[in-house]
Amino acid sequence: MEISLFQAAFQGLLNLMQLKVFLALLVGVGIGTFTAVAPQGLGMPLVYAMLLPVVIKWEPLTGIALLIGASSVSAICAAYLPILFGIPGGAGSQATVLDGYPMGKRGEARRALGASFMAGGMGCVIGTLTLLVAIPAARPLIYLMGSPELFVVMLWGLSMVAVLAGRRPIKGLIATAFGLLLATVGQQAQSGIMRFVFDQPYLLDGFAISIIALALFGIPSALDLALTKLGVEQQPAPLKGSLLDGAKDTLREWWLVVRCSFVGVWVGIVPGLGSQVVDWLAYGHAAQSCKGAKESFGKGDVRGVIAPESANDAKDGGDLITTLLLGFPQGVVTALFIVALLAWGFLPGPEMVKKNADLIYSIVWIQGIAGITGTLVGFVLSKELARLAQVRYSFMVPVLFIFILMGAFSVNRDPVDLLVVVTFGILGYFMKRGGYPRPAMILGLVLGDLMEKYLYRSMASYGFSWLTRPGVVVLLVLTAVSFVLTLRGRLERKTEAESLSGGAMARAADDS
Amino acid sequence: MKTRPTGWPFLVAVFAHLAVLPPLLFSQSDFYQGKTITIIQGREPGALGDMRVRAVIPYLQKYIPGNPTIVTEFMPGGGGRKATNHIYRSVRPDGLTLGNVGAGLIANAVLGEPGVQYDIDKLIYLGSPNSATHYIYLSRADMGWDSLEKLRAASGIRIGAQTVGHDIYINGRLFAWLVGLKDPKFVTGYSGTEVDLALMRGEVDARAQTAAWLLHRNRDWLDKRLINTHAILDIPKGDKHPHFGLLPELESFARSEKERKIVQMFRAFRLAGSPYVLPPGTPKERVEILQQAMRKTFKDPQFEKEFEKLTGDRPTPLMPEAHQRMVKEAPRDPEVIGTFKVVAGAKTLPAR
Repeated sequence: MEISLFQAAFQGLLNLMQLKVFLALLVGVGIGTFTAVAPQGLGMPLVYAMLLPVVIKWEPLTGIALLIGASSVSAICAAYLPILFGIPGGAGSQATVLDGYPMGKRGEARRALGASFMAGGMGCVIGTLTLLVAIPAARPLIYLMGSPELFVVMLWGLSMVAVLAGRRPIKGLIATAFGLLLATVGQQAQSGIMRFVFDQPYLLDGFAISIIALALFGIPSALDLALTKLGVEQQPAPLKGSLLDGAKDTLREWWLVVRCSFVGVWVGIVPGLGSQVVDWLAYGHAAQSCKGAKESFGKGDVRGVIAPESANDAKDGGDLITTLLLGFPQGVVTALFIVALLAWGFLPGPEMVKKNADLIYSIVWIQGIAGITGTLVGFVLSKELARLAQVRYSFMVPVLFIFILMGAFSVNRDPVDLLVVVTFGILGYFMKRGGYPRPAMILGLVLGDLMEKYLYRSMASYGFSWLTRPGVVVLLVLTAVSFVLTLRGRLERKTEAESLSGGAMARAADDS
Repeated sequence: MKTRPTGWPFLVAVFAHLAVLPPLLFSQSDFYQGKTITIIQGREPGALGDMRVRAVIPYLQKYIPGNPTIVTEFMPGGGGRKATNHIYRSVRPDGLTLGNVGAGLIANAVLGEPGVQYDIDKLIYLGSPNSATHYIYLSRADMGWDSLEKLRAASGIRIGAQTVGHDIYINGRLFAWLVGLKDPKFVTGYSGTEVDLALMRGEVDARAQTAAWLLHRNRDWLDKRLINTHAILDIPKGDKHPHFGLLPELESFARSEKERKIVQMFRAFRLAGSPYVLPPGTPKERVEILQQAMRKTFKDPQFEKEFEKLTGDRPTPLMPEAHQRMVKEAPRDPEVIGTFKVVAGAKTLPAR
């Protein structure tokens, strides 16, 4: 078995030794880079949908190289918006804003970008390696995580917010509760009941998280620039730090990269979690586990950039595990990838592992090579991108507003989104001034919907007996231990230096 | 005072009219030359419906005289309601903007769902590339329900589905109601593939699924006998499925005319497929050009292959005139609508 898998892996690599495959990979990398740098609306789903009718007429490997090349790079290059302008990137790069933007403001944009690309590249490689060894082990893991277990994981995510709210726990809880409340807007999927819809078609599906995040962080950042009349860099001095410094930071924090990459792989494997939670879970894990994080996170700690970026890029490997080995798409992009595989005559799932193992390994190799290429492209690009941090505010402010409004409008092409982005932008500005942590609100919004879904499914399927499932008990204990330990650490620190203590999210509210 | 009749105003009116008319009179056939047609989709990019649209675009472009550029935009929200409202209320009826939404376009309007701001009888229909569907009702084999009798004897069967109002959910409810399951539970909040996972890990016991999906994506369930299949719903009626033709048809469980009408109503909603629509007031000549292009597209054998490649399913087109007729004949009986809404909703199934 192992020999045949080794042979398949070798054959998979040999299959790639064609000029057209590498050219397609490079074109894919180019498309992915453009998608990451373009406003939010041009997401990977749209790119895949546009490419698919073309690539299914090609040979499978060439088409796969183009598609995978595009999708892996778009995640790696998504960090420049949060670092340079304080605007959340696409899903999966939103938490990067918490420490990336303060770094940018401090003159360390290059260092932050270097760390982000290096962490992304390493995350991608770890995700790919996991995919490589996951072939025999993926199925039991997926079947192990039912709705009750997933509910407890979401509970852990939510408990993290209360801890990270730091010196303003009450304000943190208020912001989280407001996020949870916002998550209830729209048609409730399980009962069909309309909540806070007021007969408005716009509200039928609730608020789009990407638009709310864009508003809460983007508009206050732009307003800050306008009011302080400075560039993103507070001092128009030469940029401090280099890309290499960021890369070194990431290598020094290799254990954090590994841990967060596994968070990413896990989020990718478990159906239904999606990229909207991956960066927040990784950031929360880093804020809870890194030494001195309580003082430095939210103020521009490079580890606050490394954690979400490595997890976000490792997630692609996890996504491919379920897509290729089980035939379950994890989102629109992987669903479209399956469409392409079907059009080429491959049926993703256990049969494909048996019949087309070499192709699966070719995909693994392509994913790895694309990740490395994407990192290199990121390094090359960031040198120029970092200069944007020094552009004069009078030019940058209108550009940022246009970017934010275009980004919001292009999500659904609905003019009401412009009203929503401005309204929530103003709310974000006042939250920031009042010290209400905006990330806590976003996390409440992201987790609220998932928690409700998993809890409903658990109750409908098992009644209260889901609480006695072994997996649930183990996860509940871990959640409680993690919560108590972090809370105790915070209290101890508070008694040591009351005036200095503060949470990452509270500081993010102050600084970003 | 006697006024002298003068021909000037009349002549001016005639010349003015002629100045405006020529483009309308003489150039309808090449109206689309150099123009751009926009298809507004009521869904997210990359969804199955998007793939259906992408399969149609090159052929539509080929068969519309003047070979216009065709682009597509997305306006997801409210199960197609947002996009249809926009097309009905805000789009200029010049034949340059089309809408493509799911079958919910008809169902939402007939059922009087909130947020519907359009009139299905005033929209103009251009047909749909897909209309026929077969739904299979299945349960996990390890539950041991290998006959309808055993299924009826079981209590509290957990039926998995996406959301209340989703066609898979309504199918599960219809099946439970008509077959007479004892105290069924409906577990929702899944994506399509999550229901499959939930079924295999024992979180739910049964589900409805399209025959195409079952054969295409979960073939091993059948090969390894992981499931028992119980019944089928043929859409359109009488269109026997080659693989599941021996399963009892859902309508055969109906005990009254009203119950049959409920099944017919669901069939009518699903038969709408993914309708292409134009706003009311679109010039008749342009409607005819687009309808003709759509007919030619659906008849093109190459389109059939392309469609199957992109969607994994063969096309089952509904021609423009059949579409228009189908909407006109969609059941509107308030009593049937009332019962259908209870069956399709989240409350307890109605008594029989």
